[in-house]
Amino acid sequence: MRHPSWPHIVEFLKAFPSGSLVADIACGNGKYLGISKVLYMIGCDHSQNLVDICRERQYQGFVCDALAVPILSGSCDACISIAVIHHFATAEHRVAALQELVRLVRPDGKALIYVWTMEQEYNKKSKYLRENRTSQGMKEGISNDTSVQELLVKQLPIVGNQDSAHSVSSINDFQDRECNSRNVANSKLPIHTNRASFHSQDLLVPWHFKGNPDKDKRVEPFGPLGSRDPGPVFHRYYHVFCEGGLEAACQTLSNISIL
Amino acid sequence: MRLLTHNLLSSHVRGVGPRGFPLRLQATEVRINPVEFNPDFIVRMIPKVEWAALLEAADNLHLIEVPKEPIQGYEHNEEFLRKMHHVLLEVEVLEGTLQCPESGRVFPISRGIPNMLLSDEETET
Repeated sequence: MRHPSWPHIVEFLKAFPSGSLVADIACGNGKYLGISKVLYMIGCDHSQNLVDICRERQYQGFVCDALAVPILSGSCDACISIAVIHHFATAEHRVAALQELVRLVRPDGKALIYVWTMEQEYNKKSKYLRENRTSQGMKEGISNDTSVQELLVKQLPIVGNQDSAHSVSSINDFQDRECNSRNVANSKLPIHTNRASFHSQDLLVPWHFKGNPDKDKRVEPFGPLGSRDPGPVFHRYYHVFCEGGLEAACQTLSNISIL
Repeated sequence: MRLLTHNLLSSHVRGVGPRGFPLRLQATEVRINPVEFNPDFIVRMIPKVEWAALLEAADNLHLIEVPKEPIQGYEHNEEFLRKMHHVLLEVEVLEGTLQCPESGRVFPISRGIPNMLLSDEETET
């Protein structure tokens, strides 16, 4: 997605001490891999073309699936997942992707996750950051101008046995709590009108490709209105999170705290 | 792929779990890529390195001998730090393979990029 780096991500990365190991899961063209010279960042993506671009930029990258990341458990000081989780079409996959992020970081390690949110109002230009304190003392920051939901998650030290069955049984609860949840398999996915509000949580967003069709050149998904660009249009699936949707997904995971 | 990156990679073939580490490294093309020496960075990295995995990888690449473990007082030993800097950051495997020690599954490294994609049957759930 072509936009200036979200400032929180840069801040998050720069706060880590020299010699920190950070993984960028589904790193795309490596936008965040070069933010700091004193961090050791590795990126991975499903797309060979995008990892090629990371490589051209002298970054360390490899090709893999975000649901099965071949990084040693507990080896990273931090990981980031920017605009990734919302591409998974089922709650199970979204939770599985989150579980991978948590697995990768060491005890006391941190994960930063960004997803698209329903509260996307292009008319509003205000730049304040709104914080909601829930009864459990969690903080959730929603930035209105960037229309994303960010969540900072910390891996707690492992105490006793991890009950992985617990996570699986909670996924059903999580699905019920999702607002406007739909049975995607039986209904047609609406195609989002670029620059308009989201009317549905599960939808397809048109991406317009320009230039060399062989390279996975991501152009901003919000093509200019009334554009006469005859280039190919690719519809990408998004599950747009409702308020609290991301943290609800994280609550199915054990051994983490939401910062 | 640098050796520090190799040190973080583990096989995710279904069922192998922690026995999927470390991946067995073979290289047909290696390049030495000079990187600016930052002693503070290396000092902080040393405790994070899975040393046995590094020894095995360096051995498979027929590299200069890596000490069996961090030497005492390594924080102030520039010769040691420079050696580790070289091994961890300056050796790039461009072409080769990574093999899961448990399942035998081979992952290619091409143009410095490991391809770790699995088929659906192989994916660990």
